[in-house]
Amino acid sequence: MKNIYKKLCVPVLLVLCIIFPLFVTNSYALTIACNVLVYSVIALSINLIVGFSGQLDFGRAAFVGLGGYCSAILFTSLHVPFIIAFLCGGLFSALLGAFLGLLCRYSSFDYLTLITIGFSEICRKLFQNWYAVTNGSFGFSTSRPSFFGYTLQSPRSIFYFCLVVLIICYIAIKRITKSKMGRAYMALRDDPIAAAYAGIDVKAYKLNNFIIASFFTGIGGAMLAHLTTFISPALYTIDESLIELQMAILGGLGSLPGSILGSLILVVVPEISRGVYQYRLLIMGIMMVVLMLFAPNGLLGRGGVKDKVMDAVYKKGKKRQSELQQ
Amino acid sequence: MFLQILINALSVGAVYALLSIGYNMVYGVLEKLNFAHGDVYAVGCFVTFMLMDQINPLIAILLGCLVGFVLNVAVERFAYRPLRKAGRVAPTISAVGIAYIMRNAIQLIWGSETYPFNMSIFKTGSVKIGNAVIGTLQIYIFVIALVLMVLISLALKHTKWGQGIICISQSTETASLMGIPVNKVVALVYGLGAALGVIGGLLFCQYYQFIFMGIGFSYGTMKAWMASIWGGIGSLKGAIVGAFALAAAETFVSAYVSSTYKDVFVWGIFIVFILLRPQGMFPAASAEKI
Repeated sequence: MKNIYKKLCVPVLLVLCIIFPLFVTNSYALTIACNVLVYSVIALSINLIVGFSGQLDFGRAAFVGLGGYCSAILFTSLHVPFIIAFLCGGLFSALLGAFLGLLCRYSSFDYLTLITIGFSEICRKLFQNWYAVTNGSFGFSTSRPSFFGYTLQSPRSIFYFCLVVLIICYIAIKRITKSKMGRAYMALRDDPIAAAYAGIDVKAYKLNNFIIASFFTGIGGAMLAHLTTFISPALYTIDESLIELQMAILGGLGSLPGSILGSLILVVVPEISRGVYQYRLLIMGIMMVVLMLFAPNGLLGRGGVKDKVMDAVYKKGKKRQSELQQ
Repeated sequence: MFLQILINALSVGAVYALLSIGYNMVYGVLEKLNFAHGDVYAVGCFVTFMLMDQINPLIAILLGCLVGFVLNVAVERFAYRPLRKAGRVAPTISAVGIAYIMRNAIQLIWGSETYPFNMSIFKTGSVKIGNAVIGTLQIYIFVIALVLMVLISLALKHTKWGQGIICISQSTETASLMGIPVNKVVALVYGLGAALGVIGGLLFCQYYQFIFMGIGFSYGTMKAWMASIWGGIGSLKGAIVGAFALAAAETFVSAYVSSTYKDVFVWGIFIVFILLRPQGMFPAASAEKI
């Protein structure tokens, strides 16, 4: 019974996603849906760093910004074809991720967190002050993605674009986590010293983890830039990093569907609660504390809320069955 | 010119030192990141700010410290203590949540404007030495910081509680086996850390003449955290030296290199420093079994 659910779940969700824009024509709702898809890519990449290899990175917004700025500048100022600019956004972010990984592979715990925060602050200051390239704090306007002269102007087309990118990123990240590399990341997370004794090159895996995750973060950032068609340094602060991190944590660290669910909740809930906008941080804060106290593994993580509920239901069923047999 | 910059660096350093002593005590005791430190003491600063024109400013400062103390003890009890054995991610995120709650509370009660801040007990004036001008306030800050530092170091050395704090920071398990009431001491450390933070935060506000809801995080937690890592986690001397080093780096970089890219350079120096000497300049001394 459980297996059938699992097998049915993915195609049903996929079909729902595909037909979603056919029924919902409200462009505001579609834009929010696009935001969910884009933040899912970012949350997935954060999950790869924080959830799978256990490196607490607080500076992911910098990479969102790097990807976004690179793609937007290449596409708008230098008129590079969209698909190349888009991929360059990811690659540029991966390049700087490699730089950060080179710094971070020697350190761990709080030092690593602080280095990532420092890196993101440096990036933000550069975005803000390097007028010639980034237009400073006034921000930078870019345009919607276009392929071979056809621009994805309607919300529906951009929704499908985001969906396709998300599916590709999801499959890629899923494959990575199921490979030897993914198992090495998990060993690294659970116990770096034991991993080193098991013949895993801890530093090399830390480095390539940063490179791969930064690539996906950059892709997410490039999508975000072309979706909102505007970027400014104020979008890439440490608070933004924390919200993106929170998406991965809420869904469950180490669970890829969890990241998507987490970004769904954290994008949609603030939108529908616009009326209580000034309580936004309060709600977020309470949610973070309560979640950590009662379900540190998030909603879909191992031993998280879903597992607990399933266990409770399953145990109850089993108990009843054994009672009936007696 | 150089002397003037040095004097400014010293007075900024004294403010940072007060902030980071409190932070470093908390940090050193359990080695848990305290993301909420700044935002918790900011509440205390705002309480003082609200009361200081109506009652005696000294009483207002005491009340602010008391609020910081009580608040941080409560936060420790409900948000950190249950997570003490839960690895590194959970307590950090919980602290971030507390920081959000506190910042939002300040915003809801006092609004998000920037207020001018001036306490009447600090007399304005200046002393001239050679070419440099020293504000009276700078002298006050330095003296207050110095007195508090001496008091704390004496308390750590010569009181039972102080020895308990040092013992817990070396090993929580051993401390509890030796009959030290770990939970009480840790709560005390959190409370005292926040109270010190309130004093540091008020001096910060007085020095820059403003107060707003963001003082806790960007000027408090981050600076105190950097200073603690720079100086060495869990050591009083480290916190002080780290704070002065941080202030010197900031002041001199913005005076001689570039004030626009001040943060870039300071963070750059800082990252290189972490990579070269992660234990800090003066790590806490503890007896290692060889």
